[in-house]
Amino acid sequence: MQMSILNNITAGKPRALIKPVIYTTLANLAQILPFAFLVEAARLIFEPFAQPGAPLNIERLWWVCGWMVVSLLLLFVCEIPAYRSQFRGAYSTAAEGRTKLAEHLRKLSLGYLNKRDPGDLANMMMGDFTMVEHGISHLVPQMMGAIIMPVMAIVGLSFVDWRMALALFAAFPIAILLVLMTSGLQRRLGATHMRAKIDAANRLQEYLNGIRVIKAYNLTGERFVRLERSFREFMRQSIRIEGLLGPIVLAAIAFIRAGLTLMVMVGVYLLIAGSIDLITFVMFLLVGTRIFDPLTAALVNYAEFRYHEQAGERIVQLLTEPIMTGEQQPPAENDVKLEGVSFGYIEKNVLHNVSMHMPVGSFTALVGPSGSGKSTVMRLIARFYDPCQGTVQLGNQPLVHMDPEALLSRVSMVFQDVYLFQDTISNNIRFGNRDATQAEIEEAAKQACCHDFIMKLPDGYDTLVGEGGSTLSGGEKQRISIARAILKNAPIILLDEATASLDPENEAQIQKAIDTLIEGRTVIAIAHRLKTIRNADNIYVLENGTVVEQGQHDELVMKNGLYARLWKLQQTTGGWRLSS
Amino acid sequence: MTMESKAGMQPKKGVRRLLEIADERRGLLVVSAILSSLSAICMLVPYASVYFILRELLTHAASPAMADGAYMIRWGAIALLGLLGSLVMMYAGGMVSHIAAFRILYGMRVKLASHIGRLPLGWLNGTSTGAVKKTLEQNVEKVETFVAHQLPDLVHVVVTTVLMIGVMFYLNVWLALACVVPILLGLIVQIITFSGTKTKENIKRYYDSLERMNGSAVQYVRGMPAIKVFGQTVHSFRRFYADMITYRDYCVKHTDDFQNGFLVFKVILGSFAAFILPVGVFMLSQDPQNVAFASVLLFFLVMAPGVSAPMFKLLFLTSTLRDIGEGVERMDRILAEQPVAEPLSSQRPQSFDVAFENVSFSYAAEGKAGGEALSRISFLAKHGQVTALVGPSGAGKSTVANLIPRFWDVSEGAIRIGNVDIRELSSTDLMNTVAFVFQDTFLFYDTVYNNIAIGLPDATPEAVYAAAKAAQCHDFIQKLPQGYDTLIGEGGVYLSGGEEQRVAVARAILKNAPILVLDEATAFADPENEYEMQLALAELMKGKTVIVIAHRLSTIRDADQILVLERGKLIEQGRHQSLVEANGLYARMWKAYTDAQDWQMGEGKGSVDADEYTEQYHSR
Repeated sequence: MQMSILNNITAGKPRALIKPVIYTTLANLAQILPFAFLVEAARLIFEPFAQPGAPLNIERLWWVCGWMVVSLLLLFVCEIPAYRSQFRGAYSTAAEGRTKLAEHLRKLSLGYLNKRDPGDLANMMMGDFTMVEHGISHLVPQMMGAIIMPVMAIVGLSFVDWRMALALFAAFPIAILLVLMTSGLQRRLGATHMRAKIDAANRLQEYLNGIRVIKAYNLTGERFVRLERSFREFMRQSIRIEGLLGPIVLAAIAFIRAGLTLMVMVGVYLLIAGSIDLITFVMFLLVGTRIFDPLTAALVNYAEFRYHEQAGERIVQLLTEPIMTGEQQPPAENDVKLEGVSFGYIEKNVLHNVSMHMPVGSFTALVGPSGSGKSTVMRLIARFYDPCQGTVQLGNQPLVHMDPEALLSRVSMVFQDVYLFQDTISNNIRFGNRDATQAEIEEAAKQACCHDFIMKLPDGYDTLVGEGGSTLSGGEKQRISIARAILKNAPIILLDEATASLDPENEAQIQKAIDTLIEGRTVIAIAHRLKTIRNADNIYVLENGTVVEQGQHDELVMKNGLYARLWKLQQTTGGWRLSS
Repeated sequence: MTMESKAGMQPKKGVRRLLEIADERRGLLVVSAILSSLSAICMLVPYASVYFILRELLTHAASPAMADGAYMIRWGAIALLGLLGSLVMMYAGGMVSHIAAFRILYGMRVKLASHIGRLPLGWLNGTSTGAVKKTLEQNVEKVETFVAHQLPDLVHVVVTTVLMIGVMFYLNVWLALACVVPILLGLIVQIITFSGTKTKENIKRYYDSLERMNGSAVQYVRGMPAIKVFGQTVHSFRRFYADMITYRDYCVKHTDDFQNGFLVFKVILGSFAAFILPVGVFMLSQDPQNVAFASVLLFFLVMAPGVSAPMFKLLFLTSTLRDIGEGVERMDRILAEQPVAEPLSSQRPQSFDVAFENVSFSYAAEGKAGGEALSRISFLAKHGQVTALVGPSGAGKSTVANLIPRFWDVSEGAIRIGNVDIRELSSTDLMNTVAFVFQDTFLFYDTVYNNIAIGLPDATPEAVYAAAKAAQCHDFIQKLPQGYDTLIGEGGVYLSGGEEQRVAVARAILKNAPILVLDEATAFADPENEYEMQLALAELMKGKTVIVIAHRLSTIRDADQILVLERGKLIEQGRHQSLVEANGLYARMWKAYTDAQDWQMGEGKGSVDADEYTEQYHSR
């Protein structure tokens, strides 16, 4: 269990702690030196009074002064490697850890990633690793250091006088017990506090995102009350956790520090009984003024340590999430097949025993009401998920055994949601092919009908796109994503036809770009407007996760089934007009 | 006016601003400061006790058995009492300062949120909600560190130091001076390390590289589908790896810069004895048999950690203060934004015609880049009629729609509802008069029922169901696990885009406002449900002043008035037939539109004459 804590706080690299802990321990040992000289000085000062007639050993006191200064220099020298190993080590570990996590993320299935909040994942990579950094650089070494000195002191002092040493630390186990016994309460309070915090965050997000609706419906009062209440609850919980956890920590501190009083009592008794000498008592008194500070600090650190450990735990959990496996290279043929595929996201199956075949160079359309499983079929072909039963095949080989990256290099996807990176237009298109020349990029842009609007931008191809591509219109982003796909030149195209209607003003241009993209390839398209897929080689009509019809447009219309019904319905809407 | 008021205010910055914030809870903070001071004094009691015991031992050093045991045990007990008193006081002070801090946080959050609610909506469009959220959550949170921890710590340090130095000077001037030297040294080293120009530069670089790495990380995660599909890795993606390494290197450099200052401070504070002892030994050598001086020297040696221990709390003071100051500045920037001006008394419009009179508007006036989005637009949208806005993207259609609810205010001209300038209407009255259905619907984390009832909070359940039926959502709502009581969002269900749109339409139907501003694209957010959606809209539009942003020209053929916009100007106006006959932009758009409707995927270039369409646009 201890090991798992260390594993968590270092995000899976407990070895990163070895060096900082060793050096910090050394530095803490060095701290004992000046203290030892202080005790020696006190002894020397006491000597003449303890044995009347004995002269004050001034020369020796000067030596002690000298040694004290030397020990300070030594301490400074010892602190340097401790400091460097703590901080430098922490930053290197975090950098390596971030890289590892980023690569791991990339290998997870998109299905899994879609379930996660991207803000959460980004925060994990940045915020949580900052906490791990802090854990490695400060918390663990400081706690180790804080424990080393008292432990050394206990051992050392036991040899001097075990009764006094015992008195000094007698209450310590009670303090530990107190902290451990209340850890359940601490966790519970922490969880309630966390819930209040998350709730406040969600209400705030809702308020910010919905502010248009809030204003338009005059809800500034009512919706604001919800937000205000969540802020108030968060405040209450924050005060509550402070108020309830404070006494536990302070009581523990009281127990630890009570050792001083206990030791004084035992010491006085022993001294008067003549059972210890004066110098021993003096030494214990001096130790008693110093020994508890690091222990108290360690105790306060511990709470922080547990909090940071949770951040590391989140990372470790994500790192153990299974990645997509498979090493085989996909075969040369590019026909896609589904054989008896069943699939469900959680429990309920979305697809039941679906079989399809998309031959090389053919154009296949998937049609059906929303929720019929069209998008799921697409996701299975791109291996966002693996099917629960049956197989998805490329060139007669099941996808599960294929290297996911090699598979994706065969596929281009043009979907409704396009994500552009905060980079130049050129580089955004270059994503399609890292080695493309500028001329090739412009050629692809021309084919995707984006060249003209790009040339009108302030810096042409070197214009920076805002984060998420926010500075371009939906249709423009769409065409850039098509240019990317053209540049990638993959033999299989997955396409959402609704893409074309995103930007009705530029519909014709997007249509042209799509036509260029799909020429001579294996195309699988989700179709919403049935008119656009009239000349598909094959149309699969899905309903409730099963293929109910299949064939070409004319055949399907003749059948008078679901497709025919949808077709008629859309013919009606086509003539719809707005009027008062 | 904005400029003047900003220049006149002279906002406070940094620590002074933080103190100003803390001042809101002055009463609590004074109590906390007093308790914190008392705790600091009590904290010294154990050290003093040890000193008194040592002195007793020193006086009876020759025959320890003669020492007053009861006296020493009493001091031992006093040490415990002092400790307990200090801890109790620390707890009480800590609670008071935390209550103050959390109340301040709460107050700031409420203030910020309500301020944002009064800002023109355009403001949020120009800012990422992520940044605003971060300000309200994390930046505000940091004020807690200052109010609940740093202020009491400062009081603690100051009280302890002043008290101890006072006592020390009273006991022995020279030894006291020996004690002051390391304190001053420590402070000077702190100041030098943290204020060097090179350091400041490095800190800036450090923050910059952190920001860059964060930016890359967010994009890496959000763009994961693209990253995967295009075979990118950490190493190839946008210098992400390089950013992480640069950040690490700056961190290392940053800590290297602080290394010596930090360690010197730490070592000096931990070694007051090294400064006291030489002075003490020197003075002792002058008068070796002086018991009084020997005990004073012991006092200094014993008490030294009592002074230095609290000072360790100042170790990170400057860097955290800067961090907090930065956050507060961001917060103040939001508070400095001007809210939408409300009229003193709201006028009542006599009719529901919407008139634009010479309206010009530019986003640049709002501090954003861009030319004039609308110039001198005039039109009248009559009550009971449909007015359609048409034009290429970027022509200003959405801007016209956004000006009606005062998401922004016009730069010139006026918008009137039944002869009343919308700026003369209170926002409540304005919003009661106008209903909006936009493309980006927003549903609250609440039940489906409440999400519709928003339209008219005191509506009867029957009215809500009727609105839902009219908006074609009744059927799908019935199929949800808990029907109308199903929660939307986390822990509940997520609706499809089309379903969300229909809930939004139901809201608008329930609201039943006389003026309706509508984005026609709403109608085909979900092609499968397009037909139902259109029925819902037709229901909604009955007998209203309707202003619609049109994308698909076929839907507005019967509109009473079509306004054709291009580059912010109104260039054509009329009904469908007359506009087609006029053979202008509308006619060309109509032709391109009807051609695009015949598109069949994979059929090649035959059916789509996109080139011609493009030319039509770019030859203009």
